[in-house]
Amino acid sequence: MTVAGAFIANATIASLGRREWTRDVDFALVGHQESWRAAADVLAVLRGPEHTPLPDDEIKDILPWIPPRAVCHVEVGSTNGAKARGLYIDSFIPPDRLEAANTLDNVARVRGAAAYAIKAGAKIVSLGGFSSILMEGNFDQLPERHDTVFTTGNTLTVGFIVQGIRKMCALEGRNLRNSTLLIVGATGDVGSGCARCLAPGVKRVLLSARNVERLRRLAAELQADGVQVEIATDLQQFSTEADMVICAASLASPSLLLGRIAPSAIICDAGYPKNLSPSAQMPGAKIFFGGLGQITGGLRFAPDFHGILNRHPFPDVVHGCLLEGMALALERRFEPFSHGRGFITQERVEEMETIAARHGIYLAPLYNADGPVDPLLERMNQPVSGKEWYAR
Amino acid sequence: MTGELIAAMNYASLSEICDDPEEVAEALEHSAGERVHAARFAAEGRKIGVDVANNVDAMHWNRLRDAFLRCIAERDFIACLIVQEIMLESFAVASYSRVGKVAPGSLGKTFASISAEEEEHVDHAMSILRAERALDVQRFDDKVHRLHLDVMTTLAKMLAKECKDGHCEVCHGSCVKPSLSEVSLSAAELRGASLQQYLKTLDALGLPGEVTLTWVAQLPV
Repeated sequence: MTVAGAFIANATIASLGRREWTRDVDFALVGHQESWRAAADVLAVLRGPEHTPLPDDEIKDILPWIPPRAVCHVEVGSTNGAKARGLYIDSFIPPDRLEAANTLDNVARVRGAAAYAIKAGAKIVSLGGFSSILMEGNFDQLPERHDTVFTTGNTLTVGFIVQGIRKMCALEGRNLRNSTLLIVGATGDVGSGCARCLAPGVKRVLLSARNVERLRRLAAELQADGVQVEIATDLQQFSTEADMVICAASLASPSLLLGRIAPSAIICDAGYPKNLSPSAQMPGAKIFFGGLGQITGGLRFAPDFHGILNRHPFPDVVHGCLLEGMALALERRFEPFSHGRGFITQERVEEMETIAARHGIYLAPLYNADGPVDPLLERMNQPVSGKEWYAR
Repeated sequence: MTGELIAAMNYASLSEICDDPEEVAEALEHSAGERVHAARFAAEGRKIGVDVANNVDAMHWNRLRDAFLRCIAERDFIACLIVQEIMLESFAVASYSRVGKVAPGSLGKTFASISAEEEEHVDHAMSILRAERALDVQRFDDKVHRLHLDVMTTLAKMLAKECKDGHCEVCHGSCVKPSLSEVSLSAAELRGASLQQYLKTLDALGLPGEVTLTWVAQLPV
């Protein structure tokens, strides 16, 4: 952007902020930056090119003090021509404070972001990624709301994870029915939703999580439907290796998977933050980042945070949890579609996928830390939308 | 202490442009209150053997005083409140309350109680400023932005971790910032808390958060 362009952009921010503030806010997206690099990029946009970027140490000093607030306006388009307007609200959780020790502080930040969304008059609020993980069992801790509803967005996340697994199977010529599926973080909302959707269609399911009681309950539910289930709090305890893996919780170390999965396993990294990448340790594994969707009806940020708030190698790719709020806003269905933990069923996932698809929101092209995983995309060396992939 | 003396001078100047006798009395009362704060800080210093330095003509304070006097020259009562109560007091409330938490004995109590008194001033001003904003949102927000560029830029330089414009002419070259760690504080923490307080105050006034975030992000560090 030129200096003049930046000046115009910043002038527009100031006036647009005031002008649009009074308009209807259909949706709010609550998120935070996954890395200090991402936080630096956000602050660089806000400072504009006429100011020197903040040094890294200053960013680390300043960011934790910023109260939750809107960073930009978002407009999403449907392929049917409808539009919905919203806000991206950053809770400003510092990227290095995601551990359990900071839960109280982080919940307070998400509550602050939620209060901001309510004050802005958002009709529906999607809790993105880690915010959703923090609040899925604590919905009662959200501030009192008037005409605002909250969704964790987990139903669409599950939908895109399941679609991603099926797409990878198709790409790799695998038969899901003969697979042993391991779900790490199986008792969380996303993990248990994936289990309900995929377990009936695989040979055997291995469920791993920290809470044994919850594992037993989920296993009993799946076994009642005739699914072969094994549970363990430690991956090393499973009697067999998996050839299909969903990491719905970030692993303390990716090496925990070593020895417990088939050398050519398909691995969906659906955790937060995503920390699995193709490595020398698992050279044959097919890893992809799961739970991501792509908007084909248009996505606009003001100021322009394209590629900064959505840092993916393909255009208009967004986390499923955030897309759920946008899809519901486009559908004018302002309801808490996903809330609490353990209520995601295959029927609800299909309903949400149908809503999303009606507005041109599809599974994003699959990729991992090394780039696209679809050989067709690699050959073309250019982004292809989910819709185009489906067409092919 | 210099900040309290500047505040006392600012309120005294404010009394000169008030038309309503009640407002004049209130401004003078605030001025006297700020002088008492300065005296209390000086007394606390004496208790621990410190001669608290002050210099209302020091580089940054002089600029802040000039900014306020420009508002006085324009007889802009609202601008005066914005500078003193929203900008300068955000810095005072946030930093005093943090020192109040870590300083021992009567020193901590003094900081905490002065912080609480300053907060009361801010609350009082907020109701006036909210009413003024309701009359013309755009005009009010533009005024805050203009004053922000003038005043907060200077305050941000004062609050920077390192004094890049040479020594501040208050501490006579013996800067307090490096020794803050001795009382479990840091310049970064005081700056962070001050900017947080400022943003929250602007939120409470109703200014759009994404706009004020941009303002603060563009401040010097």
